[in-house]
Amino acid sequence: MKYDAIVIGAGPSGSASAYTLAKNGYKVLLIERGSEPGAKNVSGAMIRESEISKVFETKDIPFERIVKRVRLIFRSKDDESEIVVKPKSKLYTISRLKFDKWLAQRAESAGALLITKTTVTGIEGNKVITERGSVEGDKIVIAEGANALLSMSLGLRRELKNEETVLGVKEVYASTRNEVEKRFNLQGDEGESWRIITDYPFPSAGFIYTYKDSVAIGVGARVDEIITMGIRPFELLDSFKTPYAELVKGFSLREYSAKIIPENGFPSFKPCEGSVYVAGDALGLVDPLTFDGIGPAIISGYLAGKAENCYSYSKMLFEAREISKVIKSRPLVKELLPNIGLYSHLVNDFLTSWVEGDFSKLKYYKSSLGKLMKHLILGLGVIE
Amino acid sequence: MRVEERLYTLRYKRDEKPHLEIKDQQVCNKCHETYKSPCITVCPANVYSFVEGKIIVSYENCLECGACKIVCPFNNIVWKYPRYGLGISLRYG
Ligand SMILES: Cc1cc2nc3c(=O)[nH]c(=O)nc-3n(C[C@H](O)[C@H](O)[C@H](O)COP(=O)(O)OP(=O)(O)OC[C@H]3O[C@@H](n4cnc5c(N)ncnc54)[C@H](O)[C@@H]3O)c2cc1C
Ligand code: SF4
Ligand code: SF4
Repeated sequence: MKYDAIVIGAGPSGSASAYTLAKNGYKVLLIERGSEPGAKNVSGAMIRESEISKVFETKDIPFERIVKRVRLIFRSKDDESEIVVKPKSKLYTISRLKFDKWLAQRAESAGALLITKTTVTGIEGNKVITERGSVEGDKIVIAEGANALLSMSLGLRRELKNEETVLGVKEVYASTRNEVEKRFNLQGDEGESWRIITDYPFPSAGFIYTYKDSVAIGVGARVDEIITMGIRPFELLDSFKTPYAELVKGFSLREYSAKIIPENGFPSFKPCEGSVYVAGDALGLVDPLTFDGIGPAIISGYLAGKAENCYSYSKMLFEAREISKVIKSRPLVKELLPNIGLYSHLVNDFLTSWVEGDFSKLKYYKSSLGKLMKHLILGLGVIE
Repeated sequence: MRVEERLYTLRYKRDEKPHLEIKDQQVCNKCHETYKSPCITVCPANVYSFVEGKIIVSYENCLECGACKIVCPFNNIVWKYPRYGLGISLRYG
């Protein structure tokens, strides 16, 4: 059997790619190993409508809640400060099973053929080998996610290192719609997202997202830190969760999950060779500053579908705002991570000083001014 | 909460053929002494454990997260996906 294009993985990047190709008249096969799209995938998750709408019509997007407030919390062992942001653009919380299914359906409606429960085990030239036999495609898009076995087997990228891999662990607690709204003071479709940056017991970043009738709580830390500290991922999650126990008290645990998040990738990973293209997490496109991976996955999948050759794909990736911000954020995050403690103290001290009307506390930070300036300059680099 | 209780929340379809395998047990013994078996520390599902000086792989509990293959200092794990979409199936993701 021969196809114009074969897309491997029906996550956000794969479905965006298959959709783009099918819409342009290509005969497309989309292969997914899970029992249905999304069954194997983990995210928080919060998405940005402005990114999704570059590829898909978002009218009927299956969102959980529209994020009305984002709480940014800086936490160290003894201090905590909170900033509440009211986003002006449209942010949604989503659950991956519904969202990924919706994306794959867009690809199917455009004419792509989706087959599930099928793992691709190898690629040889134009031949895609699965457990159920092999198929040929003029163009092959690998959208296999962070555990990029195929991309690695083709030498398009290497394995991630400990220090460039975050392990995210997550729990979903369910109750009723009413109870979620009461506890977070929400009305109707409104939702709230929390982002928690902490240096205790070691640098990690966590989230709390409101779904329709449930709440997702998760935390991510670099695997080198996990190994060095000898802390098990579930212990980290438990320690992270403790201050928020009241939020989900009486709710029942519905799901526990985990997944690695790449913090390095393109351009050091090769996006393309011959007729094989790589997109999304497989190419390491998660923004380490904003934890935005779904947006870049969709944009890169779309570009991989559109590109006529490797050169143009690479060029389009560099030119896409959503992708270039990922590349630019990495050096800043590398600087910020070991200094999370400094910042959570600084934010806390600044806010308390302001409230108390006495800024003398901040003089301790004078010695860090050089460092702060460096971070500021790197930060300005992220802004276009 | 114990890991086992968390794993009860999950739907698994067991692949009779293990999708994770240790290449060389001897290497694990060396690793245990020198590096304290990072696969055990990093695994969110308690898949790896040392029992009577031997590493045991409870592959049926695997969350397919991908961390163990990265942290293994000896690249001693054959890390594959369960076949035909077997393994874990998430409801929220
Ligand atoms: C805990 C956590 C929280 C996160 N929070 C957010 C967030 O709030 N917002 C955000 O934007 N991003 C978030 N991310 C990142 C986001 O999940 C990823 O960036 C995104 O899923 C990448 O999409 P993708 O399509 O590249 O890969 P994936 O979503 O991983 O999809 C890959 C697909 O390919 C399939 N597949 C893999 N190999 C094969 C094969 N050999 N054969 C057939 N099928 C195969 C898989 O089953 C899967 O369906 C989070 C990640 C984690 C782990
Ligand atoms: S990390 Fe690798 S070598 Fe060490 S015990 Fe685990 S599997 Fe064996
Ligand atoms: S992939 Fe994740 S859950 Fe599975 S054995 Fe490895 S570390 Fe454990």
